[in-house]
Amino acid sequence: MAEAHIVQQEVTPAAVGWEPRIIAFLCYWCSYTGADAAGTARLKYPPNVDIIRVMCSGRIDPELITTAFAHGADGVMVCGCHIGDCHYISGNHKTMARMPLLKRTLVDLGIEPDRFVHEWVSAAEGEKFARLVREVTERVRRLGPLGWPQRMRERGVGCGMSLEPWGA
Amino acid sequence: MVETPGSCSGSGNEHENDARIGVFICHCGGNISDVVDVKRVADEIGKLRGVVLSTTQMFVCSDPGQGLIEQKIKELGLNRVIVAACSPTLHQLTFRRTVARAGLNQFLFEHINVREQVSWVSEDKELATQKATRLIRAAVGRVQHLMPLDKRRIAIHPTALVIGGGIAGLVAARDLAQRGMKVTLVEKRPFLGGRVAQLNTLFPTGEDAREALNKVIEDVVNHPLVTVHTNAQILDSEGVVGDFRTRIRIEPRGANEHLSYRGNAIAACPEQTINEFDFGLSQRKAIYMAYPGCYPPIPAIDWHTCTKCGKCVWAVGGKGIDLTEQPREITLHSGVIVLATGSDPYEPLYGEYGYGIFPRVITLPQLIRLLDPQGPTGGQLPRNGGGPTRIAFIHCVGARQIEGVNQRQPDGKVKDYCARTCCTAALHTALEIKQQHPEAVIANFYQDIRTYGRGHEAYYERASESGIVFVRYDPHHRPMVEKDPKGDSAFVVKSHDLLTGGLDVEMPADLVVLATGVVPHDISELVGMYHCAVGSDSFLLEVHPKLRPVELAVSGVFLAGCCQGPMDVTEACAAASAAASKAAALIAQGQVEMDPFIAKVDEELCTGCQTCLTVCPYDAITREETRGIAVVSEARCTGCGTCVATCPSNAIQQFGFNDAQVLAEVKALLQGAALG
Amino acid sequence: MSEKTDKAGGNGKLKIGMYWAASCGGCDISLLEIGPHILELIEVADVVLWPCAADFKYQDVVNYPDQFIDVCFFNGGVRNSEQEEIARLLRRKSKTLIAYGACATDGGIPALANTKTVEGIFAASYHDCPSLDNPAHVEPQPITQSEYGELEIPRFYPQVLRLSDVVEVDYQIPGCPPQAERVWEAILALVGGQLPARNSAVKVACFDKSVCDECPREKRKVKIKEFKRPHEAMAEAGWCLLEQGFICMGPATRSGCGALCVKANLPCRGCYGPSGEVQDQGAAMIGALGSILDASTEERAREMIDHIVDPVGTFYRFTMASSDLKGRR
Repeated sequence: MAEAHIVQQEVTPAAVGWEPRIIAFLCYWCSYTGADAAGTARLKYPPNVDIIRVMCSGRIDPELITTAFAHGADGVMVCGCHIGDCHYISGNHKTMARMPLLKRTLVDLGIEPDRFVHEWVSAAEGEKFARLVREVTERVRRLGPLGWPQRMRERGVGCGMSLEPWGA
Repeated sequence: MVETPGSCSGSGNEHENDARIGVFICHCGGNISDVVDVKRVADEIGKLRGVVLSTTQMFVCSDPGQGLIEQKIKELGLNRVIVAACSPTLHQLTFRRTVARAGLNQFLFEHINVREQVSWVSEDKELATQKATRLIRAAVGRVQHLMPLDKRRIAIHPTALVIGGGIAGLVAARDLAQRGMKVTLVEKRPFLGGRVAQLNTLFPTGEDAREALNKVIEDVVNHPLVTVHTNAQILDSEGVVGDFRTRIRIEPRGANEHLSYRGNAIAACPEQTINEFDFGLSQRKAIYMAYPGCYPPIPAIDWHTCTKCGKCVWAVGGKGIDLTEQPREITLHSGVIVLATGSDPYEPLYGEYGYGIFPRVITLPQLIRLLDPQGPTGGQLPRNGGGPTRIAFIHCVGARQIEGVNQRQPDGKVKDYCARTCCTAALHTALEIKQQHPEAVIANFYQDIRTYGRGHEAYYERASESGIVFVRYDPHHRPMVEKDPKGDSAFVVKSHDLLTGGLDVEMPADLVVLATGVVPHDISELVGMYHCAVGSDSFLLEVHPKLRPVELAVSGVFLAGCCQGPMDVTEACAAASAAASKAAALIAQGQVEMDPFIAKVDEELCTGCQTCLTVCPYDAITREETRGIAVVSEARCTGCGTCVATCPSNAIQQFGFNDAQVLAEVKALLQGAALG
Repeated sequence: MSEKTDKAGGNGKLKIGMYWAASCGGCDISLLEIGPHILELIEVADVVLWPCAADFKYQDVVNYPDQFIDVCFFNGGVRNSEQEEIARLLRRKSKTLIAYGACATDGGIPALANTKTVEGIFAASYHDCPSLDNPAHVEPQPITQSEYGELEIPRFYPQVLRLSDVVEVDYQIPGCPPQAERVWEAILALVGGQLPARNSAVKVACFDKSVCDECPREKRKVKIKEFKRPHEAMAEAGWCLLEQGFICMGPATRSGCGALCVKANLPCRGCYGPSGEVQDQGAAMIGALGSILDASTEERAREMIDHIVDPVGTFYRFTMASSDLKGRR
């Protein structure tokens, strides 16, 4: 078999029993409480979304999201208070501008738009949160695993292609 | 004056590698354990590095549960505690106290939600168990990076500033003074009383509004601890809880307490203008009293209207009026602020139900003025030649509006909220008219009758029994007010009546009364000064409608009355008392404690790029010129973390939510995901 | 100063090397930018490897004892098997290995290729370019049989890597290219033993703050009203370019260059990589930029953002390989 002239790029296959892993950053005052409201109402949604609490969606640094994808998240959600209702007045205004800018960048890097979702969820919107989780989980499931760390390892990131030094 | 959050009480100052973590997983009586296999989770978590104890408990929040935590902290030398149970909104504070009692710093505790966000929302037990394990594993990663913190403490200046001299401001000032607090009450207009002074009777007691008001006014102005400034504008206000400095300008009144012949002075004045007290239904002079019996009982001069002709001075022999009086500025120092700036009635748009086109289409507040025996018409209503007066009330004007159906307001939105009090007010007024003029024909065109308060439903029943007709309209097809082509009456009001299956109703009317909603009085400058959160309905936004209803996110600023939402007098007084109570409690403590989750700039890393200076919603970040770096005011910072995400050098971190802590959670959650 | 125990002639002088991998050659030239200091340098140092400037063979390097080279500068990214092999070789043969320049430190411009697929790169290079004449659609092969025997060329990697992705690096000198003044200061510090501990990959020949620190323009602390590209408008003198709407990477870029570009009235492009302890320069800039838009509605924010032509190329122009995501999927 002829040696490939390029080192093969592996496509990450979906392992048997693969479940989407989605990280959600929720602001404490509105969206986290909204998620609690879904629980209080005993609404059911898939367990694929792990919630990380911050005080305000304005705290959500794009680096948290790029780190999440780089470490293997198949999807990321960012939720905050509706515009005009931010507990800290205008923290969500910054989120409102940062997220679309980040999304464009991520899309240009090949992360499908459905994997990164930014939505406003108020403290009363338990229904909305549950529906959001179901929809996002389903869409990410259909897109399959993103598998970023595996991809990068296969391309030599952090370890090289493990070749012997020339002349060794 | 402010102790930094980084200085800490309680143990727990060890290096993160020496973390000794105790994990307590709650069964919650089955609420959690029926879905999540908590024992298995405890076993899995127990294998993680740094976890010294991983156990389950039936109800961790119970006395034995808390006792176990305390016991284990001491017995095992735990320096980090994790509780996996219900939502932190319920018991986070409980467990922080538990931990503190055992001598561990309360902020080395982490509360993980495995009930509302796991067991109550999951169907698959296996996956729910895995999820719970992941979340606790994330907490294990996070707590390694926690630092002991202390709440911020700020000393409180023992005076309250109440802004607004309506019923809410007056009740708040009275309650504060009665508790022994010094109070300064500031009112923009020359006279106290606000909107209640413009009413005749109050529901459900039927008592005289101005008499009730005057009782409160007397309590306030006669109290030695209260200082009242009327005709006072707020120029600026800055500071933080405990230390607010407010500059006010007191406009010259023009007249003073030496003025004896007030009536002469007023009669002599040749200038007239619209009387805002009567909502434009009458005129007043440039020198005026708001209403008989108002406080202060000294006329005020409206400088926009006054031409300084001096006729009033002549009329009183030169004593008691000074047309050259100058404004004065004073600075008030206070520890807390109570906002009682009240509301304005909704002003219908030109043409809305004929308002502005037909003079006999009036608002309910205007009608109430008309009914005042001392009002613009001496209590007389427009007549219909010799016949009985026909009055149509239209409910929900400027309230419960629908996008696409109602015309948008100048701010581009529709007023979609219910103004609550207008149904009772309309029926109360309609019944008063019926009592004085039993022959009057009255109909109320409504969407829903919301006489929700105690004793208010009776108005609906009595109104029906008195012969008042109720026509229910569809909000998508609102009533129309047209000139009566036949001329028998001023108007014809047309509507579909849902109560009779959509029958077309036409009512000839001599007077159309619009039961108008309520909008907050415009305080955009104050909102800017105090960084108030404002809801999309333009009213001020409280921290939490149930648990903290009279507090703003900005510490030390409290809400009283209609600035927060449409309320009747009962509710406004209750809110004002609540605000006073909260404000007094704060002052009584002598110092305030605030959460330590504030931002801090690393002086070494800060470049001074100034990107963060404009992003703080509370203007808590300033530039220190000598070193050219940014500094976060510990007292003003409310802990949103926006600046942390802004800083392009990662030079700002937030105690309790710094990058190391949050990233540790992210990475711990995704452990194992990388293998696909 | 090292001991002389080598075959190349022990004379007490430092042995220095400079290697270029996926490089434009600018870094090699930048070393010469130290100008007259060159004469001071050759007083104390001998060059034992510099493919750009001198005729040393790989076999020479193989023959050196381990740790023979006192200081080896390595510029350029690692993008094929030869570059990785030599990187590993030089790590063995060098006491101190320094990633020199943006490409070796962060990936540099070559790392923008990580946003393309290998198929796409080959198509552009060997098939679709209008000036090519390649009717047989030939692509380079690792092994080719020719009249001269079997010819072997390095294998092409799907990713441009940093030097630190491949070997342990002692220090890194950022910049495209690194500024000569800083480089000379670093060389002096190295010779004088004043650099921090080795094997730390710490950034030297630069400062910890961002370019705003060196920038002469003033901030007015206003939010951005609309984005402009440098050719779309005249920049007002003396006023921060970013506040005017020209996307200047200055706030998110490490200083040390003296803000040369901004002083020439062009917005900073970020070639010194992230400042402070920031890992991902693009994410840091996006977080900052999104915070200072003068947009009160989502529509307006999106409108403004749509005007940015190439976010990846703008925010990760020099740092794709050191970003969190490293490249395109």
